[in-house]
Amino acid sequence: MTVAIGNETTLEEAEQLGVDRPASPRGTGGPSVRQTLAKPWVGLVVLAAGAVVSAILTGVKGGFPAGWVPGSISAFSSLGTWITAHQSSAPFFTDVLAPIGTGLNAMVSGVSTFLGWLTWPGLILLGAFSGLAAGRWKTAIFLVVAIAAFGLLGLWADSMSTLSLMTVAVGISVVIGVPLGIVAAFSRHFEQLLRPVLDLMQMLPAYAYLVPIVILFSIGNPGGVVATVIYATPPIIRLTLLGIRTVPDDVIEAGKSFGSNRWQLLRKVQLPMALRMILLGVNQVIMMALSVVVIASLIGTGGLGDPVLQALNIVNVGDAFTAGTVIVLMAMVLDRVVSAFGERADPAHRTSKGMPVRRRRELIAAGFALVVVTALVAKLGFSATNFPTAWSFSVAGPLNTGLGWLQHHLYHYASVPIVGGTSNLSAFVTLEILNPLTRIAGDMPWWLAVFGTAALGYIIGGWRRALLVGICVTGIGLLGVWNDSAATLAQVLVALVMCIIVGLPLGVAAYWWDPVEKALRPVLDVLQTMPAFVYLIPVVLFFSVGNMAGVTASFVYALAPAVRLTNLGLRRVPRDMVEAGTSFGSTRLQLLRKVELPAARPAIVLAINQTILLVLAEVIVAGLVGAGGLGYDVVVGLERDEFGLGLAAGLAIVVLGVVLDRLTQGREQRRPARAA
Amino acid sequence: MSAVASVKDPAREDPTSHPVQISCQHLWKFFGHNGHSLLGTPEANLPQAELQERTGCIAAIRDVSFEVHRGEVFVVMGLSGSGKSTLIRSLTRLIEVDSGNIELCGEDVRHLDPAGLRDLRRHRVSMVFQQFGLFPHRRVVDNVAYGLEVQGVKRAERYQRVEELLKVVGLSGFSRSYPDELSGGMQQRVGLARALAVDPDVLLFDEAFSALDPLIRREMQDEVIRLQERLHKTVVFVSHDLDEALKLGDRIAIMREGSFVQVGTPEEVVGAPVDDYVAAFTRDVPRAKVLTARWAMRPFGTRSDRSSGFGDRVVAASTRLQDVLNMVLQSDEPVGVVDDEGEIIGELDRTTATAVIAGSPLEGDAPGPRAQAGKTHGEGTRP
Ligand SMILES: Nc1ncnc2c1ncn2[C@@H]1O[C@H](COP(=O)(O)OP(=O)(O)OP(=O)(O)O)[C@@H](O)[C@H]1O
Ligand SMILES: [Mg+2]
Repeated sequence: MTVAIGNETTLEEAEQLGVDRPASPRGTGGPSVRQTLAKPWVGLVVLAAGAVVSAILTGVKGGFPAGWVPGSISAFSSLGTWITAHQSSAPFFTDVLAPIGTGLNAMVSGVSTFLGWLTWPGLILLGAFSGLAAGRWKTAIFLVVAIAAFGLLGLWADSMSTLSLMTVAVGISVVIGVPLGIVAAFSRHFEQLLRPVLDLMQMLPAYAYLVPIVILFSIGNPGGVVATVIYATPPIIRLTLLGIRTVPDDVIEAGKSFGSNRWQLLRKVQLPMALRMILLGVNQVIMMALSVVVIASLIGTGGLGDPVLQALNIVNVGDAFTAGTVIVLMAMVLDRVVSAFGERADPAHRTSKGMPVRRRRELIAAGFALVVVTALVAKLGFSATNFPTAWSFSVAGPLNTGLGWLQHHLYHYASVPIVGGTSNLSAFVTLEILNPLTRIAGDMPWWLAVFGTAALGYIIGGWRRALLVGICVTGIGLLGVWNDSAATLAQVLVALVMCIIVGLPLGVAAYWWDPVEKALRPVLDVLQTMPAFVYLIPVVLFFSVGNMAGVTASFVYALAPAVRLTNLGLRRVPRDMVEAGTSFGSTRLQLLRKVELPAARPAIVLAINQTILLVLAEVIVAGLVGAGGLGYDVVVGLERDEFGLGLAAGLAIVVLGVVLDRLTQGREQRRPARAA
Repeated sequence: MSAVASVKDPAREDPTSHPVQISCQHLWKFFGHNGHSLLGTPEANLPQAELQERTGCIAAIRDVSFEVHRGEVFVVMGLSGSGKSTLIRSLTRLIEVDSGNIELCGEDVRHLDPAGLRDLRRHRVSMVFQQFGLFPHRRVVDNVAYGLEVQGVKRAERYQRVEELLKVVGLSGFSRSYPDELSGGMQQRVGLARALAVDPDVLLFDEAFSALDPLIRREMQDEVIRLQERLHKTVVFVSHDLDEALKLGDRIAIMREGSFVQVGTPEEVVGAPVDDYVAAFTRDVPRAKVLTARWAMRPFGTRSDRSSGFGDRVVAASTRLQDVLNMVLQSDEPVGVVDDEGEIIGELDRTTATAVIAGSPLEGDAPGPRAQAGKTHGEGTRP
């Protein structure tokens, strides 16, 4: 989800990043201490020496020394207990958090009441009308069908409760995000402050903060809203920032030259020109928010997440599929509405022709009046708040029958000739690849792990990165979840390798052959818009619950950006560069190897970075289907009230995410300061 | 540069007698880290490449001083990167210079507070941009009205004024279009109308027509000349096109690596380049189309020197050489050059005329600047 629409924008950033600026030419003379330290080999020698010394001091034993773990888990547990005990007395809880919780609750139930008041015919009509107001027949029809499907699939009540939560969370994200984006666009300092926070927020699977949120807000809607907002706000901040920053300089200058003050410039030039980006941000917020619905259900928000969770628990793929479909439909409904309006804000789609503004306004007003009347009639005349259950039907039964047949013929040992069934594949990967990898990572002496990753960090980003990575890896050990992290890491690596093996060649193929790109595009679109949990539904069918299910889901989940970014990066290689290469008679492969891939390197590095973060996110989510490791710890922590374990695992997820991100990101970007 | 379509009419009213409207004294601007610390150091005068090599900074404007009179068109020319855009932007502090004085319409620009600066930009000075700088999300009418809008003018009044202006620039009927629905030339007409909408005293053009194709460019230049005849704005016009400079400029400044190397009338720049750089700039100009009889003649020191005997072989001083050439070449005898009052002020013979046109100065008896000797600037080429 993280990169669903962010691809293009993050690539811009990557391009800026590709410019390596030479250090200031000022000051010559003998090499200083700094310069000596900056020599690559010096750092590696220092790090190697560190490893050797640590090895001598602590012995060459494998794993993280148990004696060093400062009882984090039990400490966290008692923290949780303490907080629960003081929830009703400490001022911070009673005066700050409690009112926030009450407020959020009120908002959610307010929207819920409104939806109830609107009734189902009213909501369907509203959908149709939004499509028409945006000037699109097809959208209108789609909206009617999709909203009706909520009820037809028998999930109207759950849908409304999810929709209420979403509306509040998305609203809060926008209200917080747009101003923050604006401030960041104007203040480099603020941006620098914000950027790492956003990076972190965006990198974190929502799992990481579920436990703390439950501790602070306890179970229910307020926690769900908070978790959703944390998860979904970064893109709108980023896109607002980007939208304002990418207003061309000459237009800004023109605005200034006429004596606009700051506010006028913002309101009359920058915001309108950034509007399209901002709406794109709203879109992303919606998508991300809906992708945590299931996770929010883990902390008791109810809604559509509940049937998914229940169905996954008992491997009732049909039910899980039905509920998943409704969630995806809801995402599409909101997405279509916002993007239809976004298109209107797009200069490319706006013309002086078309309906006069006055007439349009009148029509819109009339439409909404109609919605209100419909709602009143439905409510008072037919008391039609809930979708009539008699009309809904279940697709789960037939679906399960069909899937059972499929499973029967693919899953079991004898079902597929020679290679055996998917259960065999699952067993093979788990036993021969995942388990050994987990063991290697878990049994690696701590000093080798710490200094090894630090050396990697040093090669990629110098001392600062080495230090950060080293500290993070040590931190994982100190949190007391060394072995679970190793399990998570092993799954991440396997899924990543699968993504690279499949994704990069697909990206190249899409670049070479337009038909391939055309064929892939809808598939990738679908893959990228599906929330993370959706992938768990089919995989449990074939791989049952467990690690292999997690790895497969992660692979599929993260494949799209790998393909997309590779393709996009290659396509962005300047035409004249490629033509120059061609004019020297390079073959296609030579061209790819010597010109295009090197030129697209920033994009490909970004692709790997994004892929690994998505893989991590999904591996964590796969804790829901019993993939072992940190994600499972969080689920266990929530389900059995083991806050200590949940908190430690959540923190470890953060730290592991930072390590993986830092080790796959290009050099620190140093942007030239812009002049007046 | 092969054909100069037209040259500023030298017989036009001379704005240099008007009061000064823009005055810049000793402007300096450095780009780069800590650039302003280079002020007053010996490095500041290094060649650009060396300066950048040594300090990482660029001197975009170096010790530039000039004055522009009310109603005058002052053209700044130079190669790419010579600092033209920086200079024109520094006039309204879109870029802040590091030192020097800027006086615009009587205001000490560098010491204006933000409100004063906004006021200056809102009412006194407007700018036309190379890439047009139009607001893509606003209709033509709201683009043109922008300046009035930020001034706080009511909508009805704005729109009325805009309709008039659109008529002036030949765009009536397009007010509801969006900029991207117009051609480049039309877009720049919008830019021009937008600049004129606030009825400023000073108009700044930063390579306003460079992005247009030659035909449209010429059309826009004619438009500016036409408007200028009516409106008499004070204009600073940045260009890297010599044809354009000669056509529009009352005076031309040639800029190089941040300094003005020469400031003068089109004739001075073409006829008497101060150095090889300027000479290279003007080399391809058909000199006969730019230089006048006054420029090439041998002036008479006093009235009595020789004031008659030319018969009807006299030409007006402001006549272009290409138009007197026929008469001059008819015989070995010189022709007389008369000023506006009909007084004979000098003579022009076949050898001098051809030498001036060929650009090869005569030994000792060099034409051109010689004719200017003893005259104050501004009266130089004009009666
Ligand atoms: N914001 C800036 N930061 C750093 N250097 C700049 C900046 N703006 C301009 N320069 C440099 O200052 C010098 C003068 O630039 P300027 O844009 O004024 O030139 P110009 O004469 O307008 O050129 P052109 O004809 O290409 O528009 C150039 O070397 C340019 O690289
Ligand atoms: Mg310029």
